[in-house]
Amino acid sequence: MRHDSIKAFVPAAEAPWAESYAKPRATVRQSSPELNGIIRLLTCGSVDDGKSTLIGRLLWDASPLYDDQREKLLKETASLNGGQRPDFSRLVDGLIAEQEQGITIDIAWHYFDTEHRRVVIIDSPGHEQYTRNMATGASNADVAVLLVDAQSGIKRQTRRHLAILDLAGVRKVVLAVNKMDLIGWSEERFREIVEDFKTFAARFPAVCWLAIPVSALNGDNVATRSQTMDWYSGPTFVEHLETVHTRDDNLDEPFRMPIQMVLRDGEGFRGVAGTITAGEIRTGDIVCDALSGKSSRVNQIRTMDGTLDAARSGQAIVLQLEDHIDIGRGSLLTTERLHAARSLDVRLVWLSNEAYSPTRGYLLRTAADLVAVVSLKIEGNLDLDTLELAEASTCEPNGIAEARIDLARPVAADLFSDHASTGAFLLVDAVTGAAVAGGIVNGVSTGLAANEDAAFTLTSEMLRRGLCTDLQPTSDGEAEFRRRANEVAIILRAAGVAVELDI
Amino acid sequence: MSKPLSHLDLLEAESIFILREAAAQFRKLVFLYSAGKDSTALLHLARKAFWPQKPPFPLLHVDTTWEFKELIEFRDQSAKRFGLDLLVHINEDGVARNINPVDYSPSVYTDVMKTVALRQALDKYGFDAAIGGARRDEEASRAKERVFSVRSADHRWDPRKQRPEMWNIFNGRLGHGETMRIFPLSNWTEKDVWRYIAREKLDVVPLYFAKERPAIRRDGQIFVIDDDRHFLKPGEEPKPIKVRFRTLGCWPVTAGDESEASDVESVLAEILQARNSERQGRLIDHDTVGAMERKKEEGYF
Repeated sequence: MRHDSIKAFVPAAEAPWAESYAKPRATVRQSSPELNGIIRLLTCGSVDDGKSTLIGRLLWDASPLYDDQREKLLKETASLNGGQRPDFSRLVDGLIAEQEQGITIDIAWHYFDTEHRRVVIIDSPGHEQYTRNMATGASNADVAVLLVDAQSGIKRQTRRHLAILDLAGVRKVVLAVNKMDLIGWSEERFREIVEDFKTFAARFPAVCWLAIPVSALNGDNVATRSQTMDWYSGPTFVEHLETVHTRDDNLDEPFRMPIQMVLRDGEGFRGVAGTITAGEIRTGDIVCDALSGKSSRVNQIRTMDGTLDAARSGQAIVLQLEDHIDIGRGSLLTTERLHAARSLDVRLVWLSNEAYSPTRGYLLRTAADLVAVVSLKIEGNLDLDTLELAEASTCEPNGIAEARIDLARPVAADLFSDHASTGAFLLVDAVTGAAVAGGIVNGVSTGLAANEDAAFTLTSEMLRRGLCTDLQPTSDGEAEFRRRANEVAIILRAAGVAVELDI
Repeated sequence: MSKPLSHLDLLEAESIFILREAAAQFRKLVFLYSAGKDSTALLHLARKAFWPQKPPFPLLHVDTTWEFKELIEFRDQSAKRFGLDLLVHINEDGVARNINPVDYSPSVYTDVMKTVALRQALDKYGFDAAIGGARRDEEASRAKERVFSVRSADHRWDPRKQRPEMWNIFNGRLGHGETMRIFPLSNWTEKDVWRYIAREKLDVVPLYFAKERPAIRRDGQIFVIDDDRHFLKPGEEPKPIKVRFRTLGCWPVTAGDESEASDVESVLAEILQARNSERQGRLIDHDTVGAMERKKEEGYF
């Protein structure tokens, strides 16, 4: 993830590329059929910082909102401002029952096109549950905007937000210093805030950032250049979104493709299907499967539209290999040698409403694999303010923990810092099926941490909650309970999972 | 060096990834096929995802019995052309009670002939996951929808059960009795669907193209009269009007637009310059405030 052109991302004050942004832009929208890629933007901040107003402004100024949507907004909110200006925040906050919906992870998606690009806005609420919401949104984002109220400056929350972004692998951050209109468009105050942020941001060397002074309410430096802040020569927010690098802009990284399935045509063709997550592949390249350790040569790159000579990160393809090696779902094709991991050092963000429990069964899901967790040992919790690890043996909802995970069988995984797409995972509750935590891989080892005999413990609680909820506490019920428990253990062992029964 | 990917290439690849995940993770999958433009684009994506194999699931159409005739024709042709099984389900109980869009309010009619009908069909065949063409940009209440959206045993959408979706990982593991709805077009917009139909040269139902059709004007909207069941009010007389449809539903509750766009290219041009949002022609969405949100909780697609 560190391939990004950092030089294009220096603080605004020193921006050498400001000139290229200054060119007059066409006023007539050209509806070119296809756009240059997709940029996914996470918005962080609270209502007080003007987040909804900023998003509303983007939708209003930069996108072709439909007339019925514009009229509706004008009609509904004209009275609020004496008819001067619609309330832009209503474009995103207008959902009835939004507050009462009670979705645990609460993220809304909005879409608009600039002249050149599709912009996807990932909007996560700024309330007290924000850690898991933000981490979830950030995992899908290319760039994040941190909103700061120019009157109050950098807050504790801003710092925590930056820490979460760093954890989730967001490497591009825009510090939008908002409400510049309320501080008399002061350049001095803007620089003060930027200096303050710079000190803190230095703790996250992987993050590249840019500060932009804006007034979301008036639209200054959002989609149109501010007439009042002529001291600012950097890009407007929209100009920046049109040029900033995306995560799948990773052609220079070594090739990675997780295998989703095997496809056949019934006449001898056998191909492995997947989406390339990094780098490029060409016919004739040698690829190696990280799971089995086997390698072969790419015979053909096929799609329904024809055979390709080469394919790049982001493309969904079918590869036909020269040798009939036994690979399938869960395999990870690379052009380098990678070892499958039996044990992982990870960082987790706890998403579930229920804290980590050692008696629950967990599964680890990567992009295209699912494997039973033999042991999950929490080693400490991260304090977002000090960025220090405090010793702990559990993880509460909304918490961030470091942990060691032993798996029932090897899994193909990268370090998150090398490859985000193949270095991340979800932790799934084996009984309810829900994702309880999201995680990144910080270390891998081919052996088990504790001891080689570590086994998955099947407890009666696990079975009663799921498989056996229908059973009555009679002697017949108990017998059936034991029968099912045994069956489960037999099936798991047949699948190569060491199981101990604790019932 | 391979050529850079456009936003449409990226959307296509994302949908293919989701479709393959769906096929790999579920035991008994079905494709909810409405024969409309989104279904058409999605079916094409499914053919690409599993090529050289056929998509590993049947098509299911919930037929309200008030569909446009041309749509039914196109539905049957498409299934045949691509060699896919087509299951058609009608809520016979609703038919027996004569629940129709003319005499009943949109909310009652939709509930019985679409929502309940879909639940019946899913239970009848025991599907554990259903693929659909819904998009997040269609309506405000869909802006928060997941790509893998879990449903309780009675097919209801429970906000507290909606799962986090992180990275490029889609979690299809189900709890007891749960089923999944899968939306591979989540991140597409209406414009993208038309751009894709034009780019891939896909056939769509001719109802999307302007043609003189027997129609009436009522309350500022145009309705095409598709059969002779009672719909006309005294004094209303169908006259040929050149219309096309932007979105397709049951004919008595789907308004058409006056248009000259009679092929894909001109429809695309019209959509790219459209002044009004897509669902304003659908009466069921305007029935009551937040109508769509409520329908979703009850299990409407």
